[in-house]
Amino acid sequence: MSETAYFFQELFRVFLNSTQTLAPVFLFFILFQMLYLKMPREHIYNVLKGLVISLAGLTLFLFGVEYGFLPAGKKMGIALGSLSYRWAMIPLGLLLGFVSTLAEPAVRVLGYEVDKATSGLIKEKLVLYSLSLGVAIAVSLSLARVIYGFPIEYLLIPGYLVVLLSLKFASPNFISIAFDAGGVATGPMITTFVVSVAIGAAEAIPGRDPVIDGFGLIALVAMMPIIIVMLVGLLFER
Amino acid sequence: MQGDIKGTSWGVFKAILPIIIIVLALQFTLLGLPSAVIWRFLVGAVFIAAGLILFLLGVKISIIPMGEEIGSELPQIGRLGIILFWTFLLGFTATLAEPPVHVLASMIEEASEGNISRVLLVCLTALGIGLFVKLAVLRIVLQVPLVYLFALGYTAILVLSFFTPSQFVAISFDASGVTTGPVTVPVILSLGVGMTSVLGGKSTTAESFGLIGLASIGPILAVMLMGVILG
Repeated sequence: MSETAYFFQELFRVFLNSTQTLAPVFLFFILFQMLYLKMPREHIYNVLKGLVISLAGLTLFLFGVEYGFLPAGKKMGIALGSLSYRWAMIPLGLLLGFVSTLAEPAVRVLGYEVDKATSGLIKEKLVLYSLSLGVAIAVSLSLARVIYGFPIEYLLIPGYLVVLLSLKFASPNFISIAFDAGGVATGPMITTFVVSVAIGAAEAIPGRDPVIDGFGLIALVAMMPIIIVMLVGLLFER
Repeated sequence: MQGDIKGTSWGVFKAILPIIIIVLALQFTLLGLPSAVIWRFLVGAVFIAAGLILFLLGVKISIIPMGEEIGSELPQIGRLGIILFWTFLLGFTATLAEPPVHVLASMIEEASEGNISRVLLVCLTALGIGLFVKLAVLRIVLQVPLVYLFALGYTAILVLSFFTPSQFVAISFDASGVTTGPVTVPVILSLGVGMTSVLGGKSTTAESFGLIGLASIGPILAVMLMGVILG
């Protein structure tokens, strides 16, 4: 099949997928609107307009991921995994984790929330940099895991034990923010691109299983902010 | 509106640029991949940028106001059972609409050579979110402290992780990480704020946040249980 034909066929397939994806929320809204909300007509018109824009956006996004990012990430991972100096992936993970978190809009929102909740005692910048550092460590640990193949439980279990322990000492405000923070660092760039690099590397390195060793990166990226925000809270509330 | 478009575009641009620079730098120093791969990557980056901008704008125009309307209307519609039913449905359908959930699920399906099905994984993740959002709302009504539920939830996860086959442990945490995206976060947050203001007595930071953290326990448990059953 020619490249152009493939391009359009894929685009159409992704469009159908995205439609199926958004349909349930849409149906939910229609049903709820008819039963309870009964919003004015122009309101509904706005919601419909937004849904059409979301659908177009979702289609383009998923297409870009499947057509460009996933195959390129995987090929990069395979190339990195076959290098004689594979350890280069570890510092590279630090770099990728740090810059992609700095650029994540949701992380800034979180920093703002913490700043506000502590009335300026904990600055937005402090949250931003400590989170970025946390994610950098998480990404490079996961790539180290791909190279050396130790089980994810060795990182997750001590990590969540620390979380459970700090539940006992941290203030309720910080606990709520910390757990919500777990979600903000896992943005679309890390979840699509960096994960596919890890899977590619796990495929290239002999003795590694892409399912066992390639995944788990998002898990660590989601855990780090919980630990960091709780620790920051503990340090500042002395 | 105009300001929204500009702000969103700039945010998306800043999020994508570092990855492009790092990939190109690696390509010219270490990797030397076939140029077709790099071209596809760049074309993909343009589509991703355009797609994210449109998607986020659409979410702002429709999904966030929708979530807020539903969140403030829901507590007033009557019996607790009915409220919980709609809460579950909202959490479930919002997760289905979350883009990264589908990306992760198809990566897992491909890497496991079809052993872990995409549809099953997405449905379980959504089920986990739906059930735990429901639980979170029940918590607000019954005024159970959040800390107890976090402690209970994560202890359950730690215990279950000893019985779950290794491959599912990683996947379950990943599945939970990707569910907190541009659709579910605003919907669940606005639901939480709406609920606490109508049902709960005090509406502090500690009360209205934490809903997302609680909800993300759901997919971990759901996928781990799937692993226990399948493995």
